Formats: sequence, structure tokens, C-alpha cells
Amino acid sequence: MDLALTESQELLRSTARSFMEREAPVDVIVGLQKVESSLAPDLWKKAAQLGWLGIVVPTEYGGSGDQLSDAAVLYEEIGRGPLPGPFFSSGVLGALTVLEGATEEQRRRILPRVASGERVLTVAITEPNTSWGPTGVTLAPQGRNGSYVLNGTKLFVADATSATDLVVAVRTGDGPTDVSLLHVDARARGVTARRLPGFVSWQCEVTFDNVEVPATALLGGAQRGWAALDRALERALPLLCAYIVGGCQAVYEKSVAYAQSRVQFGVPIGRFQRVQDHVIRLVNHLDSARWATWEALWKLDTGRPAAASVHMAKAVASEAYPEACNAAHEVHAGMGVLVEYGLAAHTQMSRTLFNYLGDPRWHKRRMADALEW
Amino acid sequence: MDFEVTYTEEQQQFRREVRAWLETNVPADVQRTPTSPEDNYQRYLELRAFGRKLGAKGWLYPTAPAKYGGGGLDVDYAIILEEEVDRLDLSLPPYYDSGGRLGSASILVWGTEEQRQAFLPAIYHGEVRTWQLLTEPGAGSDLAGVRTTTAVRDGDEYVIKGQKIFVGSDNGADRIWLIACTAPNGRRHENLSWFMIDANLPGISMQPMELMGTGGEGGTDSGVKQTVFFDDVRVPAFALVGGENKGWTVATTHLELEHGGGGRIGRNRVWDRLLRYCQETKRDGVPLTQQPDVRDSLADIYIKTEITRLFGLRNFYLTYARKAKSYEGPQLSYYRKTAGLWMTGAILEMVGPAALTTDPTWGSSAGFLETQQRNGIVSVHPGGTTDIQRVQMARRIGIGRSTREKAGTVHGAEA
Repeated sequence: MDLALTESQELLRSTARSFMEREAPVDVIVGLQKVESSLAPDLWKKAAQLGWLGIVVPTEYGGSGDQLSDAAVLYEEIGRGPLPGPFFSSGVLGALTVLEGATEEQRRRILPRVASGERVLTVAITEPNTSWGPTGVTLAPQGRNGSYVLNGTKLFVADATSATDLVVAVRTGDGPTDVSLLHVDARARGVTARRLPGFVSWQCEVTFDNVEVPATALLGGAQRGWAALDRALERALPLLCAYIVGGCQAVYEKSVAYAQSRVQFGVPIGRFQRVQDHVIRLVNHLDSARWATWEALWKLDTGRPAAASVHMAKAVASEAYPEACNAAHEVHAGMGVLVEYGLAAHTQMSRTLFNYLGDPRWHKRRMADALEW
Repeated sequence: MDFEVTYTEEQQQFRREVRAWLETNVPADVQRTPTSPEDNYQRYLELRAFGRKLGAKGWLYPTAPAKYGGGGLDVDYAIILEEEVDRLDLSLPPYYDSGGRLGSASILVWGTEEQRQAFLPAIYHGEVRTWQLLTEPGAGSDLAGVRTTTAVRDGDEYVIKGQKIFVGSDNGADRIWLIACTAPNGRRHENLSWFMIDANLPGISMQPMELMGTGGEGGTDSGVKQTVFFDDVRVPAFALVGGENKGWTVATTHLELEHGGGGRIGRNRVWDRLLRYCQETKRDGVPLTQQPDVRDSLADIYIKTEITRLFGLRNFYLTYARKAKSYEGPQLSYYRKTAGLWMTGAILEMVGPAALTTDPTWGSSAGFLETQQRNGIVSVHPGGTTDIQRVQMARRIGIGRSTREKAGTVHGAEA
């Protein structure tokens, strides 16, 4: 038993943290909030040079093929920002979906360019009024001269406004999991991506208007898409959780520092037990998310059955982040809602990730199924 | 990270040895729910006899130093022992002996060599069962405010007077330890002393307190605690551990352990039984586990028990690897207690009134759900209330006071 980070993980952590402090301090994060595309080109290039975009891509496809728990150290640091951008949607979920679902030729063609940051992937799964499960995929392509023609809408597609390539889950049969994956050029005629406005971070609507894609765009085989996506999600979700843990950690540190320094009634407000209670609620959510996430990562890295742990981690982390932010707002009161202070970026991200790739209840039900009650 | 202990072939051999030994030495039917006070006492005697057998092998307190009668085993071996005993629904020690567990830890850190030799072997061999005496009528959460029980030096002895409450369980103890006020006008934290004494000295008397349920920190399964009266009890000065007026310092060690700092590994027995109950019980002809509302509740309950397990594992690791702790001990205690209380509501809603009855036909097996309904409330307060745990957490996080408070030492020196 050893619950400490390895030396190389500690090194990665400190490299990533100093990068974040230098390249993505609070004013940069706040500045990015209103931009249509979540991808800051300069920062993206530098991150690519550090190998961040190919961290889970195997070496034979141009990545560094790190263990998930190594990648989690990085994603915690990114989440502290919370640095937006398609790090997760391209470098993790996109890359793993291609890895799990595509043919060898397709992997060799796509993955090296994802790892280098040249191409930016995102995966389009759910649709208007549907769930995150396979039955949520109803968009059915029409066949025309051996190619596929897409007409319809995908919703809550992360970072689609900065993506160069879409992996689109489409319905190709009547069975519940008869889903296939199509690789679609995000800049193709008829494809429109729009960032949804409001209290949500870079979740997009993607519409397809007579978009024709060649038969070679089918990733892997027909009807194998859901199984591939399921395998990719099992490994990707804990890294999204790690991003959330980083977010909770940052919000916690901000709250402790504020409770120590803000003086009211002649004493630092941390001396008040009501304020302490908010900080304690926060740290309990933080640690719940952290240890649920790390146990899932350990199971995956050591080849143990991990489905139930992964679903539990996503359920716990999805709940933890908004609760952590709520508690932080109680500590900060008015200061916390000033956009320039930086807490609000977490608050909005926490609401966004609550539902993204399945809300807590959805994952709890999948967990119960995996535990075979 | 590695969330599991990995065992060598030698350790696996040890596991086989332990399993075989337990098969021949665990008394038959000792896990039963007692049917009468006489049977309760009989069962206690069986467990004590079993404890002495474990103690003779050094397996009662496996990691305690061998030179004082402990097992002197590495923690990996201790985990094997705990796991094997846990498989049989028993614990180490197999009876309520938190006074031995907590008191011996304080003596190891703060006692003199002579005191260690005098007090520890009997605990580690299972020859004595020990209770801790902390709370008084006027000092519970404010434990440092102990005033009722006083000790006055008289030659080579101290004379103890006063009263302690919420002590032990049923069936008596051989040894007790307590903190008493030795400087009524002294400064807070510098006015208490810590004594390890014989439970049967002249002037000590006990009176049972009937409680709404069980749920002591040490896992007592009895709904009884004691009031202990001291009427000019003369104890040798040798019983004073850590020095006069140093009792609070001695107490920080066992309080840290009692507040969850030692952590825990092992399964959650209530969860196992609850899931089995829901699989075997039907509502409107359908097993509870196939009812969507029950599945949702079970998922929430499962997650709370898992987070409790993970916090326990983390604290166990921190102790095991001798790492410095901060707020983790009281966090585990707070989380476990609030989760347990919350669970009473979740289970009552999910299972209905069957959770409230011990009726052999209409209630749960051996009334385990009824026990949980009571314990979920009762266990919120012993070993520091949930409010006290939060006070501790805040101080250690660095917001409760002007300087950050450190966790109490468990080993005498952490990294």
C-alpha cells in the first residue's frame, strides 16, 4: 500500500503547476471566459510542446503513453485554473475513442496529429432531449453513393467551437447499442458549431445540414461504436474527475486563505464556526472526490475491474464541485461573485461538469448495475 | 499509488497459518446475539478466553512491541490477522478493549520504561480488559475542563475523588485509566494528570447507565455504560503517567487515535447485511433491490460507506507510513458519524417500519437494522461529538486559531 505520488508524478506536478502559474494565472482564466473558442492558440502550442496533448496516447501513435494516474496529476493541475480548452475533449476522450474504436490505419492517421496539437478532436454523443446512454443517439445518417449524409443536431458537445475534427455517434440499427462512430471534418460544409450562451462553459450545439462524409469516415466497424465509446469513457472519466479534483482543491485553498485574511468584527472570519463549517463541508467534498477518483485510476492502471469505481468517482466528483463552490461562495460572500476574483469561473465550470457525460444520478445507476445488485 | 497491501509468499503462508489456527480456536457460536444477561456474560467470558489465546501468540495486539508482550509484527502481518478475524465477524481484540488499545498507545509514547514493563504486558496478553474514563458530569466536549475528579498527592500515593460517566460497557473491567485534576488553580491544559490504575481498588464503585443504543468508538456492542465513583481512592504514585500536570499531553495521543487518526481497513458489515436484506426481501412481489427507488437509495448509502472506507484507508496509510497528519483524523470521525446518522433516515425510508422492529418474523435478521436505527444516533457523540471534530478540523486547517494546530502524535515521532 502506498497512497503517495511517485517521484516522477511529483515532478510532473511541479512542472505543470509552474506552467499554470506562469501561463494561466487568474486574469488569463477570467479573460478566456467570454471567448467563443476555448482554445488559446499560444497556450495550446506550449502545452503540446510539453507533451500534454498526447499524454494518454500510446507511443506508437506519437504520444507518451503515460499511465492514467500520471495523466491525472496533470489534469488536477489544469483543473486548478480551471483552464478551459479541449485538453480533455481532444487529448483524452477524443484520443481514447479513436484508440478504442478506429482501425489501425485510422489510428496511425489521426492520433499523432492529435498528440501534436495540430488536430483538435471532440466527441458528439447526446442530442436534444436525450440521455447520455446509447439510446440517446438517434441521429441516423442516410446512405448516398457509398457515403453517409448527416442531417440533425448534437448537443452539449464540449469545445466544438475549437475542434477541427468531430467524432459523431450515429444510429445505424434498431438494437439499443447499434451505434457507429463517424469521423467528420468540423470545418466541412454544412457543419455549424455554436457555443451555448449562459452559465455553462463551452458546451456547444453542433448542427449537420446535408453533411456528406465518405465511407472511410466510419471509425472501426459499423455497430461497434457504443462498445468503443464505453471503453473510452471508462478510462477518460477519471481524468475528468481529476480535473474536477483540481478545481475543488483550488477553491478550497482560496477559501482557507480568505478565511485567514479577511477581518470582520475585529478577527479573521475563519475564527467563526459558521465560516469554519463552510470550509469543512468544502474539504469533505474535495477529499471524497479525490479518493474516489484515485482508487478508480489505480484499478484501471492495474487492470482490475473498474466500472463501478469509475461511475462512483464521476457521481461523487460531479456532486462535489458545485457543492465546493457553493461553500466557497459562503466564505467569500460578495467578493466571490466578482468575476475578476476567479471563483466564478469555477462555479460555472462546476455546473457544466455536473451533467457533462452523465449526471450523478445517471452514474449511480450505472454503478448499481456494475455491482450487480 | 497502490490501494492494496501486496503480500509476499511468506505472508500468504502466515495467512494460511492464521486461518487454520482460528478454525480450531474460535469458540463455537461466539458471534451469537446473546439471548439473556447470563448468556451475554457467558459470551463475554468465551471471548476473553479466546483473547488470552490470541495474546499468548502475540496476535491480540500484533504490532505492539514484543519486548512488552505484543506481537512485534509488521503492519502487513497485522492486516492479515485483522482480515482473517474480520472474516469471522470478529475484531481484534475480540471484545471491547478500547481502553487497552488507546491507553497502551499513550503509555508507549509517554510512560517510563518501568511503567511500560509494568502496564503493557497484561494488556497485550489479554490478561486484563481496560476502560478509559474521560467524561465527567461537567466536562464532556470540554474535556480539558475536567474538575470533578481530583487527585491529591499524599506521600507515595495519590488520593482520587470524584465521578466519571459514560464509561466502558457491561461485564466489568480489570484496569481503568483516567485524567484527573491535580492543580485546581492551574492553567488550562497544565492542570491535569493521567493515571493507570486497578479497577478494583477500595473506594471505586460503579453504577450502570442504560442508553438508547450502543455505538461506542471502540465498537462496544452493549447498550450499557457506567458511572464510576471515586471515594478517596488511594493509588500508588507509580500510576501517574507522563508526569504531574502533564495529563493533557498524554491524552493527545489517545485522543488522536480515538478521533479516527489511526484509520481503519476492512469491510462495512452493516452494508453487507443491508444489501443481502434488500436482495431477500420483497415489496409487492418484487425484490427490494429491483425497485428503482430502493436502488437509488442503496447507491447513495453505498457511496457514503465507500467514502468512509476510503478516508479510513487513507488514515491507516498515513499512520502506517508514519506520515504527518493534519485534519484527517477528525474528518474520518465526522464523516463516519454524520453518514451513520443520515443513513438512519435513508434506511427507514427505503425499508419502512421493518427497520424498527427486532421481531424475528417481521424485522431484519437479528434486528441489525433496528440496531442501526439506534446506533446511528448514539454513535454521533462518543469519542468527541461531530461538532468537536469540526472544531479540531478547523484548527488543523489553520483557520480556527491564530496558529495552525498539529495533530497529536501516535508514534512519538512522525515524518
